[in-house]
Amino acid sequence: MKKAKKTIRYSLLLVLVISILMPNIVDAQDASDGTPILKLQYFNINNSVQYLLLESSTKKNKVFLAQKNISYKVYLDSVSSGNFISEVKTNESGKAKMFIPPNLKSIWDKSSTHLFIVMKGDEQVSSDYSITKARLEIDTATIDDIKNISVKIFKDDNGKLIAAPDIEMKVGIKRLVGILSGGDEETYTSDSTGLVTVPFTKINMPGDSLGNLILIAKIEDNEILGNIIVEKKASWGVPTVAGEDFFSKRELWSTRFRSPYWLLFMAYAIIIGVYSTLIYLILQLIKTIKIGK
Amino acid sequence: MSLNNNENNNSRRNFLFGGIAATTAVLTGCLDNSHPFHTEESIALTGEKVKLLSVNGDVIEIDRAFLKPVPDLPTLTNDEERKGIAGKKFVMVIDLARCKNLRKCQSACNHMHQVHPGQNWIKVLGMEDSIHSAPYWQPTTCMHCDEPPCVKVCPVDATFKRQDGIVLIDSDRCIGCRFCMAACPYSTRVFNWEEPQLDPQVAEQHYSCESSMPQKKGTVGKCDFCPDMSRKGELPHCVQACPNGVFMFGDLNEDSVTNGSETFRFSDLIKDKAGYRLMEDLGTKPSVYYLPPVNRNFPYESGLENQTKETK
Amino acid sequence: MNLVWKIKPRKPNKYYNVENNNPISRDRIINDLVPKRFGKRGMIWTSILIIFCLAGAYAYYRQLTQGLVVTNMRDYVSWGIYISNFVFFVAISLVGSLITAILRLADVHWSTPLTRIAEIIAVSAIVFASLIIIVDMGRPERFMNLFLHGRLQSPIIWDVTVISTYFLISLFLLYLPLLPDLKILILHRKPSVNKFHKLYVFLGSFWKGHKDQFRINDKSINILCVMIIPVAFCIHTVTSWLFATTYRPGWDSTNFGAYFISGAFLVGAGAVVVAMYVFRRYYKLEKYITELHFEKMGKIVVMLGLLYLYFNINEYLIPAFKMKKAEEEHLRELFSGSYAIMFWFAIFVGMLIPIFILITKKGRKPLPMFIAGIMVVVGAWFKRYLIVTPTLLHPFLPMQNVPESYKHYFPSWEEWAIAIGSLAGALLIITFFVRILPIIPIYETIIEQNEESQKDHSL
Ligand code: SF4
Ligand code: SF4
Repeated sequence: MKKAKKTIRYSLLLVLVISILMPNIVDAQDASDGTPILKLQYFNINNSVQYLLLESSTKKNKVFLAQKNISYKVYLDSVSSGNFISEVKTNESGKAKMFIPPNLKSIWDKSSTHLFIVMKGDEQVSSDYSITKARLEIDTATIDDIKNISVKIFKDDNGKLIAAPDIEMKVGIKRLVGILSGGDEETYTSDSTGLVTVPFTKINMPGDSLGNLILIAKIEDNEILGNIIVEKKASWGVPTVAGEDFFSKRELWSTRFRSPYWLLFMAYAIIIGVYSTLIYLILQLIKTIKIGK
Repeated sequence: MSLNNNENNNSRRNFLFGGIAATTAVLTGCLDNSHPFHTEESIALTGEKVKLLSVNGDVIEIDRAFLKPVPDLPTLTNDEERKGIAGKKFVMVIDLARCKNLRKCQSACNHMHQVHPGQNWIKVLGMEDSIHSAPYWQPTTCMHCDEPPCVKVCPVDATFKRQDGIVLIDSDRCIGCRFCMAACPYSTRVFNWEEPQLDPQVAEQHYSCESSMPQKKGTVGKCDFCPDMSRKGELPHCVQACPNGVFMFGDLNEDSVTNGSETFRFSDLIKDKAGYRLMEDLGTKPSVYYLPPVNRNFPYESGLENQTKETK
Repeated sequence: MNLVWKIKPRKPNKYYNVENNNPISRDRIINDLVPKRFGKRGMIWTSILIIFCLAGAYAYYRQLTQGLVVTNMRDYVSWGIYISNFVFFVAISLVGSLITAILRLADVHWSTPLTRIAEIIAVSAIVFASLIIIVDMGRPERFMNLFLHGRLQSPIIWDVTVISTYFLISLFLLYLPLLPDLKILILHRKPSVNKFHKLYVFLGSFWKGHKDQFRINDKSINILCVMIIPVAFCIHTVTSWLFATTYRPGWDSTNFGAYFISGAFLVGAGAVVVAMYVFRRYYKLEKYITELHFEKMGKIVVMLGLLYLYFNINEYLIPAFKMKKAEEEHLRELFSGSYAIMFWFAIFVGMLIPIFILITKKGRKPLPMFIAGIMVVVGAWFKRYLIVTPTLLHPFLPMQNVPESYKHYFPSWEEWAIAIGSLAGALLIITFFVRILPIIPIYETIIEQNEESQKDHSL
């Protein structure tokens, strides 16, 4: 088991290294200094909200620089005023986000695959990014005391949903900026029926105060489907209440409002002792002055 | 070159997470209030709704704030910045077996925080514990100690420990006595000996302890674990920048750490790879764990070529 | 001033009558001891000091405008000669309590003429200790933060508290015994010839020499003498804790408080010896500061030197015996590395040679004592430098990823100028004090010289 894990990790690493190297060979030829690089991505969240994310950068001295404040117009399927999605301006990290407006409903509903076209001024800067509408479902099932996460992926085929095989995804627990795999693999691939079943091995994970975990399935950067995410809550975790008692302790490193009592006592005892004597001496001096007058 | 490409990839990936967190929070708000950073309270909502088309062709409404790639967060008061993010306890794991002294972490950090030329908040140290022991590369950040000696000695609460475990500096408070520098056994603190060299728009920016920007003359600086990034749902700059996935960042209360592409259960990782902390004997209780340099991905020597005379 | 300590009537003090057996007359004493104008040499001396101070002020102006970058301190050596100078000042200031309080409580009377010398050294040193700390701050304009946001856990706050307390007490201890002298000055110096008449009147016109005034004053001085001892121990112990509360090799020592205090006693006593010699020569005070004083002070210096030597052995031998990894490099640098010359200089010149000079009877004559005193003081200054800097250059993690200049330290001219300027400033305070007020207590000398069965209230 351990060994298998290791092999997987290494093969993953190999894939990673290759995938890093591959585009670079291409890169080295065409992405010379200063060439703008545009990246468009489609997101589908919980089978409901969808949006597009545009990222614009250039490469200079081997460093990617975000292109700020650049206007782009984005169209659905074809460049015409009826297909206009939005005009966006990139922010300081070179990114812009857009939703599909309701008036494009008829076009959206008409086809199961859509093309997104990005215009910069009059120039088409991206015209080949297309996605197919899809639906990702996540559910939990306990079979023979074994907890399973089952995920189904469907794609739209002229209004019908059909199973999508061979789709790679991450299935697991939603964590700070990451997905902790629910099973033993980093990623899973859907079978011919579009199904992924992940036996849940992450027992005793800390959950929220009620022991709930958020299970999540995520398809990332898929060529056909784009990015799809679904979530579901399951009470498979351990109730965790993050205590603040560590912070409210009176320690030497606490703030001045939480000095340790022993320190306060010692310090004030000394200060009061010494300064009351000093004040007494000042009173004595005043007395001396009075005698002299 | 190959690394740059990946660097970009990484940041894109993480950025994307931020966006998701933001959007889902509104839609699944009832589902979860404690886990993602972006609950409705933590985003500066505009109150104005925009209509949009859902995947199924329905029309739904969403707050205009989510139109931005990263929704604006409400400006924090100094008090809130000093308290930290409730319910979190940040940790970092640094896998020494994966480091080949590329220093992408260092340059990203220096760039994002506009660290003074010559100084670094992250140092990649060429370590050799004794003549016959194996050399290795050790990226060193602030350890965000749980018993921080630097905080103990600060006379004015200018450096402080937050409930999420992060040790920060308030450059509006610091008197520049440098006692904390003497107290830190990890020599991680740097001092702004002269007027920092900042981009004009950074210099005008409102000072925040969480972003440590803009830095100020006559005060100390150090690695801050990028809490501003965490609030946005992104990983610290060094974690994003490392092409080898050396840095893993996460929340101890969630028992997981991630480098952006891989996510591990923290306790398993530390157990399986015998993670340790630096100078445990001093009792500083760091929040940064190291995985020993065994089964290395790169030989030590491969890192030497990245070492120029100035950066030694 | 020692009136109160004298429970049983004391025998006439014969120490002062070395030349003849007759007590020196009152008028003579007053005439000898009232402040004198600067002579030519005095003027030159003062101008030199002022020039040094101005140079320091100019250097500080540069530091204020450009930041601490004008110093050669960098991230590793984050404390430099400012801090070693600070420790030096704090050390010297301890002498006030030694001479004034400890000897007085021990009912030792020969020290009477030295008390004011000791006190003014203490006051001026403590003033410059505080100033130099402000100079060292990156943000001096935020000094008030120490009071607005002060956190009791920090040794710096302890230091600020004890230093200001010690300053107040020292000031008191300087002022109260001065009151009878002020009266003498007001009475015996005509306003026309005395530029400072107004000042004397302002400071001491209420002193009528009334019995009750004497009673209250004596009692106050007694209380001060008792109180100043623990406070003086505190200021130096707390200063040592600024170092000992960290983990650094060379600082991480439980011995540090005692080590610092013994060193402070030594350098303070050395400074008093030097001052004694200078005042004696310059103001022709041979009748008041006699060879006997030197003899006694010499013995004290030897004793303190041996004490300090003991703590030094403790401080270096024990870590050197174990040679822990972190300490090893540090100690090697000190014993035989790049700091070796300075280290052995501080040991020999600051301790061993003065001890050998003063251990002989001949060595306790004024001139050799003066030389030994200078050696002690100079050695002590370097010793403070060695305590602060080499440690910072031996951090736990290797010094890497920094420019080459971060790995060494030699003070810049601004640092030297400020350090020298602060030393000059402390000397300037003493010089002006001597110009304005009597450095040897007049009233007490008169009492000591004459049969003191009755207090001379007519003064
Ligand atoms: S590593 Fe140093 S600066 Fe960071 S918390 Fe620990 S002691 Fe403080
Ligand atoms: S330099 Fe600033 S942060 Fe450090 S101890 Fe001094 S006041 Fe505190």
